[in-house]
Amino acid sequence: MGVSARASKRTPYSATRRAGFGVEFALKMTADANALVIQNIGMVFGSGVGAITALEDVSLTIGSNEFFTLLGPSGCGKTTLLRLIAGFEQPSTGSISLYGQHLEGLMPFERPVNTVFQSYALFPHMSVSQNIAFGLEMQRKPKLEIQKIVADMLELVRLTGFEARKPAQLSGGQQQRVALARALANRPKVLLLDESLSALDAKLRKEMQLELKRLQLETGITFVFVTHDQEEALTMSDRIAVMKNGKLEQIGTPTEIYDFPRSRYVADFIGETNFLTGIAEANGLRLPDAQLLEVLHSRPLGANVDVAVRPERAQITQEGAGLNAVVREVVYVGTDTVVYLEIAAEVFRVRMQNHGGAAKIVSVGEQIKLVIPPDAVRVLEAES
Amino acid sequence: MKRSRMLGRYALISPAAMLIFVFMLLPMLLMALMSWLEPGQFGGVKWGNYTPEAYVKFLFDRDLSDVLLFDTDYLSIFSRSFQLALVTTVLTLLVAFPVAFYIALQTPKHRTWLMLLITIPFWTNLLVRTYAWILLLRNGGLIDSSLHSLGVTATPINLMYTPIAVQIGLIYAFLPFMVLPIYTSLEKLDWRLLEAAYDLYANRWQTMRRIVIPLAAPGMVAGCILVFVPALGTFFIPELLGGAKTLMIGNLIQQQFGVSRNWPFGAALSFALLAVVLTFMLIYALRFRGKGTLTQ
Repeated sequence: MGVSARASKRTPYSATRRAGFGVEFALKMTADANALVIQNIGMVFGSGVGAITALEDVSLTIGSNEFFTLLGPSGCGKTTLLRLIAGFEQPSTGSISLYGQHLEGLMPFERPVNTVFQSYALFPHMSVSQNIAFGLEMQRKPKLEIQKIVADMLELVRLTGFEARKPAQLSGGQQQRVALARALANRPKVLLLDESLSALDAKLRKEMQLELKRLQLETGITFVFVTHDQEEALTMSDRIAVMKNGKLEQIGTPTEIYDFPRSRYVADFIGETNFLTGIAEANGLRLPDAQLLEVLHSRPLGANVDVAVRPERAQITQEGAGLNAVVREVVYVGTDTVVYLEIAAEVFRVRMQNHGGAAKIVSVGEQIKLVIPPDAVRVLEAES
Repeated sequence: MKRSRMLGRYALISPAAMLIFVFMLLPMLLMALMSWLEPGQFGGVKWGNYTPEAYVKFLFDRDLSDVLLFDTDYLSIFSRSFQLALVTTVLTLLVAFPVAFYIALQTPKHRTWLMLLITIPFWTNLLVRTYAWILLLRNGGLIDSSLHSLGVTATPINLMYTPIAVQIGLIYAFLPFMVLPIYTSLEKLDWRLLEAAYDLYANRWQTMRRIVIPLAAPGMVAGCILVFVPALGTFFIPELLGGAKTLMIGNLIQQQFGVSRNWPFGAALSFALLAVVLTFMLIYALRFRGKGTLTQ
């Protein structure tokens, strides 16, 4: 107990930590079903002229048992937010609470949260079993219990038989799974995953995406996943927070984010999108080439309006009604055929599914009609 | 491998091999031979008169009637030398580890400067620096006079020519040899492992004991060898700071080739020392065989 004496003065429950705070912490939990409540978090690195704002007024709530993804390009602050939850950094402003318990001033080893690092950070001098047992040993769990948990974890991540291997003797995918097992062995309240799949090759990554989702469902642990890969985010998440320059851009389920992007940034970041700009009229947008795109909107007449249309929601036809467009390129991509059109001096992609053989062929240079159903058009917020 | 490439390799290492043979192996063979000869009257040896006398003299004393009596005089000098070298190794390790750890935590630019500071003593001769310690340690020297004027001591401290003075000199002289290898192994340490340990509920002390120290172990072992072996054989630090009361093996050997004019005995002492050191190294090598390869 001597070691933790100093820490316990500063922190409310580090003294109970040694006894295995899984239970202790649960007693202190409020009935709050929210795993994490993040309020007005701001993070500034450095000071004075060279100060860098990594996060600005970020507030979000992550529910219990949720698979929550922070999505954004590198430098958007998503990893910083994760490190704040883990306790590796202290926020400049705002607060984070875990099941109603404030995390301020708690060291990483005092938080019932575990991280799967981007680099895995497996201890090179320890075997697979020793790596997985590390967190449990630090919590002074009984030896027999540790042995049992390690065996269970190895089974969970399908690495039984690899107990005695050293990390250097494992493939990237195996190392990744050891890192997962090492974190999950502690039954954390929240598991943080920092770009944990980005070091894997494409095929393995697909497998691990499904594996992660399976583990999350089996263990019932809240996952907070950080990635810059939109496809990964859409595949695994219950909800996604899209981040931009240290701020939250949009939070929603994968369908909401994909089908109802709020801004041009979100629409562009997630999936393929066509953008059109026009002047608002009573029953649609007047495009720069004077054609009218029919759409329901609530913008003042005469305003400049951006809209987004997913390539698979538009169609082309050779006769009948529609917008005039010229075929510039036809690309066969296996499952689909993508037709690049020119309309109002912009490139517009239409993606058509192939049903055995190429979809109905149009030829380059041909004048065709572009049909965009009004409910496929998303009116975007004006860029700030 | 092709014959020509093998030849090429031998050609490349031959200058170094020649150098080692001429300047190290040959003199050592000569000394080995010398240790089995009779001493000459004015130094040197009597060639052709073979005798194990030098080795016998190490362990036994011949009384007036030519009876061999077991004698621990020389063994006690050996054991004192081992004690001093061991204490030097342990204390330099205790001082050097935090220093190396601190330096490894600095920014790369800062690190270069601090390492330069560590190596500055190498720019002057160790003999000169040891003389400087006499000025510090002697009665009326810097330490004595400042303690006196501060009122801590009333009488002279009498630090010079004691084993403590020798110990201080040894620690001072060998500290950089401990810092450098430990720093080298800590510099390569992946600091993200420390975050991982924190994340897995290890506090600072546990992280140090379970992660940092095991990963820095190769550097610590290298440092211990670099300090222990030369500290064992050193002769001018005990000569200058210890006086006649704190003889070490190095002094003893030096005396045999100097004032005592017993070259065979000096050579025999050298080989006894070599045997002990090699035994320790062998034990270490067997004990830690292959462990160093797992830390990558």
